[in-house]
Amino acid sequence: MTALLEMKQVTKEYRGVPAITDVDFRLEKGEIHALLGENGAGKSTLTKMMCGVTQMTRGEILLDGKPVNFLTPAEALDHGVAMVFQETSLVPSMTVAQNLYLGDEKLFNRIRRLNIAAQTFLQSMNFNVNPTATVASLGAAHKQMVEIARAVRKNVRVIIFDEPTAALTPEEKHHFFSLVERLKQRGVSIIFISHALEEALQIGDNITVLRDGALIETAPAKSFDRKRIIKAMVGRSIENSTHGVKRKFSRQGQDRVLSVQNVSMGTIVKNTSFSVYSGQVTGMFGLIGSGRTEVAKIIAGVAKRNFLNGGEIILEDRSVRYRVPRKAMQDGIVYVTEDRKAEGFFETMSISENISLGFQAAGLNKNAVVTRSEMKALAAEWTRSLNIKAIDSDASVIELSGGNQQKVVIAKSLVQKPRIVIFDEPTRGVDVGAIAEIHQLINTLADEGLAVVVISSYLPEIMSISDRILVCRAGRVVEEFDPLEADENQIMFAAVH
Amino acid sequence: MLKMLNQERIVGAIAVVLFIGFSIGLSGFLSGSNILSLIQNVSILGILGIGMAIGIIGRGIDLSMVSTMVISVAWMLVMVNSGVNLWLALGLAVGFAVVVGIVNGLLIAYVEVPAIFATLAMGIVVYGFGKSFLIGQDVVYLPRDESWFYHIGSGQIAGVPNPVVVFALVALVAALFLKFTKFGRYNYAVGDNVATARITGIPVRPVIVAQYVLIAVIAVVAGVVVATAVTSMNTRLALSTQVYDVILVVVLGGIGLSGGKGGVRNVIVGTLLIGILLNGMTIMNLGYTTQNIFKSVILLAAILIDTMLNPRDEQTAQHGDI
Repeated sequence: MTALLEMKQVTKEYRGVPAITDVDFRLEKGEIHALLGENGAGKSTLTKMMCGVTQMTRGEILLDGKPVNFLTPAEALDHGVAMVFQETSLVPSMTVAQNLYLGDEKLFNRIRRLNIAAQTFLQSMNFNVNPTATVASLGAAHKQMVEIARAVRKNVRVIIFDEPTAALTPEEKHHFFSLVERLKQRGVSIIFISHALEEALQIGDNITVLRDGALIETAPAKSFDRKRIIKAMVGRSIENSTHGVKRKFSRQGQDRVLSVQNVSMGTIVKNTSFSVYSGQVTGMFGLIGSGRTEVAKIIAGVAKRNFLNGGEIILEDRSVRYRVPRKAMQDGIVYVTEDRKAEGFFETMSISENISLGFQAAGLNKNAVVTRSEMKALAAEWTRSLNIKAIDSDASVIELSGGNQQKVVIAKSLVQKPRIVIFDEPTRGVDVGAIAEIHQLINTLADEGLAVVVISSYLPEIMSISDRILVCRAGRVVEEFDPLEADENQIMFAAVH
Repeated sequence: MLKMLNQERIVGAIAVVLFIGFSIGLSGFLSGSNILSLIQNVSILGILGIGMAIGIIGRGIDLSMVSTMVISVAWMLVMVNSGVNLWLALGLAVGFAVVVGIVNGLLIAYVEVPAIFATLAMGIVVYGFGKSFLIGQDVVYLPRDESWFYHIGSGQIAGVPNPVVVFALVALVAALFLKFTKFGRYNYAVGDNVATARITGIPVRPVIVAQYVLIAVIAVVAGVVVATAVTSMNTRLALSTQVYDVILVVVLGGIGLSGGKGGVRNVIVGTLLIGILLNGMTIMNLGYTTQNIFKSVILLAAILIDTMLNPRDEQTAQHGDI
């Protein structure tokens, strides 16, 4: 029997670097297939090839037994393959109804008729969303409903969900799962990318595990348990992983170096207050949209808090308000971004140029003239101390693996001799070996007396690295936990309720 | 193997092929005097190109460059003709250009007007302002004076025409500047990724202002060469399409409009190709319009080949992890 969607020996290379190697994948009609793997294992790449976002380098994709190679997402959609992305692809300023029918407008559109059609359709799926509401006003779960409704409306046969539950509260998750079940009953096949193993075990019919771009295992979900999945996902590196290891000690903070008082920014950060101490790792946990990244950006001068009633940030004993990150950097505050491709490194430049730009921006080189040998010496020092693996420091950053890119971004900040370092999702898209090294580095920095803040939406990471845990929800820090005493459920509860 | 074929090399190769082709096919092309006039003619384009390159590397563009060049130098000549000391007049002309550059820079860096619109408007403002208040006539002639200053565009040093010498000097200074100074490195950083540059603590806005000031000053240098080469400054030049020729030279040489890429070498390569081409076409007696068609087709071809051989990285173009 032919599968609905089948991939045979598919390989994808980015600039000659393989992201996916010889993967076979099979999706039957009406099954829920969970796709698991660590960051950088190739889950997203694999699904992006199915839905036409990128194209495979080699291999074969069969839909109903016929070979296909979608060049655009629109072409994939015409064949009934749709992907629901982590970042929703809706137009925020339009209403739900307009978004549902986006791309299918007639020459003349009567808004009333559009709204009625949308209402009928949403009701038939049991979605409680107002079709006249603008998408921007909706919460994460409702946005996702609209995305799903849009996919279903196009009569798709395959829906790919990329981390659908990351932004959802437990109630919303529950709702989402029942929705997936209903889609399945309609005969839609579902691919489900997730970090959360329990979810995969709970709703998946089959589970496929990828590691380092290769297929490790495909089997019915019933034959898996948590342990077996982790073993397949992590493989050889399991002993290096610090994730999920309960801490046995925590550092006491030394001086209070930073005090954030009643800081507000628009509707994202609402009147939040907390302190950061030197010689300690302060973990900040919160779901996407909880305002944790924005608070960090305000502290580091990347974003600006409200001009009026924006609250105060006190560095040691001085109130500060930074217009640009440069001023914060000069005061010893650096921010290591969560999105290194967009704002972390210079992609046309080499490792040494990237690091030396950080050095120059901090005003640490004495001469106005920058020589190549100085640059190389600096880069050599940092590639050694952070164990950046590259042929040499003239290698272009874009050609490095995620972990090494992240290390370059970190080196570019640490070379500025900061006193307060804010790591925003320091291990996102980083391979397992490098995760352990980055965690090690963060610990070393705290031991050296720096104030370190680590932001993460991955609870095991926060649990294993923090000396104290701050939980963000709806734009403010709501609770503080001691990692030696708190358990995951308590923290998660604080983050969502 | 294919990685060796970047736009700079492709264009360089085409230039060599054209040069050899014209040498064989066109009588008079290879004569010493023609080669000299060839280089002389493109020197001005080259000087302007280097200014424009500084902007484009920093992910900007300056469409007001030619207006600045024309108006500041014409104003200088008007002042000299009415008896103002040459050096004072030159100082004022440079000062005028610097003001234009600062206004451009402030608009782009602080008000965040897209460079293409800010400088387009600025070019018109500069021309209009100059023609209304500073310069009465269309063509301003050089004063009858034997000072060496008036031979910058026409004389020669050791057999090399002066415009070429000026071009070489500007190129050398700009190359060292871009490569080794802090500003140069910052300029590449801003062109590569503004957000990263900002987070790294690079003074992004001052760098952008400095870019446009530099461009304006280089425009004055080019203007002095233009005026002294033909003993006058025709203000109608500001209305011509010369600024697009300048962009052509820069982009043709392989300085990507997406910023952060290329250097002075690319400008030289682009200038040579355009110079050889224009010279050859002039010898072949092709009309101005026909020449424009060739120029634009070549530009499009160069950009196409570059995009095919050096695609923008797929992973960067589409945000998301592997």
